[in-house]
Amino acid sequence: MGRIKVNGVEKEFGAGEFPFNLSELLEMLKVDSATVVAEIGGDIIERSKFSETVIEDGDSVELIRFVPGG
Amino acid sequence: MDRLVIAGREFDSRLMVGTGKFSSNKLMSEAIAASGSEIVTVALRRVDIENENDDMLAAIDRGKYLLLPNTSGARDAAEAVRLSRLARAATGINWVKLEVTPDPYYLLPDPVETLKAAEILIKDGFVVLPYINADPILAKKLEDVGTAVVMPLASPIGSNQGIKTRSAIEIIIEQASVPVVVDAGLGLPSHAAEAMEMGADAVLVNTAIATAENPCLMAKAFRLAVEAGRGGYEAGASGVSREANASSPLTGFLRD
Repeated sequence: MGRIKVNGVEKEFGAGEFPFNLSELLEMLKVDSATVVAEIGGDIIERSKFSETVIEDGDSVELIRFVPGG
Repeated sequence: MDRLVIAGREFDSRLMVGTGKFSSNKLMSEAIAASGSEIVTVALRRVDIENENDDMLAAIDRGKYLLLPNTSGARDAAEAVRLSRLARAATGINWVKLEVTPDPYYLLPDPVETLKAAEILIKDGFVVLPYINADPILAKKLEDVGTAVVMPLASPIGSNQGIKTRSAIEIIIEQASVPVVVDAGLGLPSHAAEAMEMGADAVLVNTAIATAENPCLMAKAFRLAVEAGRGGYEAGASGVSREANASSPLTGFLRD
């Protein structure tokens, strides 16, 4: 069992599910990676590095996107 | 008419538009086109991981418009810097509309945190467009640390009250050596024309266009008002006098 936080929400994963990378996490969450920017533990992850960025138990992931605004 | 120059980049349009509050992305992109604007603002928020997320950027032609991410929602300098860096990572754009608004009721900008964030962002290579209260001293301080423009508010964001800060904006315009963009509170095309006649270099409009009954027509009306106001300013207005000054000759009347 392991836990990560995505946008402040705790997500549980079975022991066998780790490790996975950021691209795989986005697929699991059904989020289009082309439209998001990500932070892990406060560090910005460039989109080109999504598939090589491994998510570990206890990580805090922020997924951010553009929305309309003034 | 003169072109607008910000951080060495030239623009034909002096109207910037926000993308918030439109009833659909289609209407938003049609209204942006009708506005003739070349700079459009967007915001950053968390992805909703429980629901499908709409990709609003798909509705904006990035070849045609400069995307200007804002730091709305930031309550202090640290949050604004974080949002700016995320925006740059997402788009490669180093321009940012700096907004630090800790007060949720009037959304008035925090001058201390805005100046602090501007200094950090400029050192980090950003082109900073700060949203500020109409404070001439703050405008000068921001200019001194290297902001590309200053963006004094006309009245609170989204209030449509028009220019309530006129005399302070006049001082900012008089003293600024960077472009002055009047932002927030412009509710009618005549408000935008007034700002331009005062000598503002540009205006930013969102709510008045997005929430009009016909946003495309309102976008066009703002475009025309900005052009008219700028023309009036560049033409050099004649003075005001208390007495009448006859326009027709005061000689050759049909009387003895």
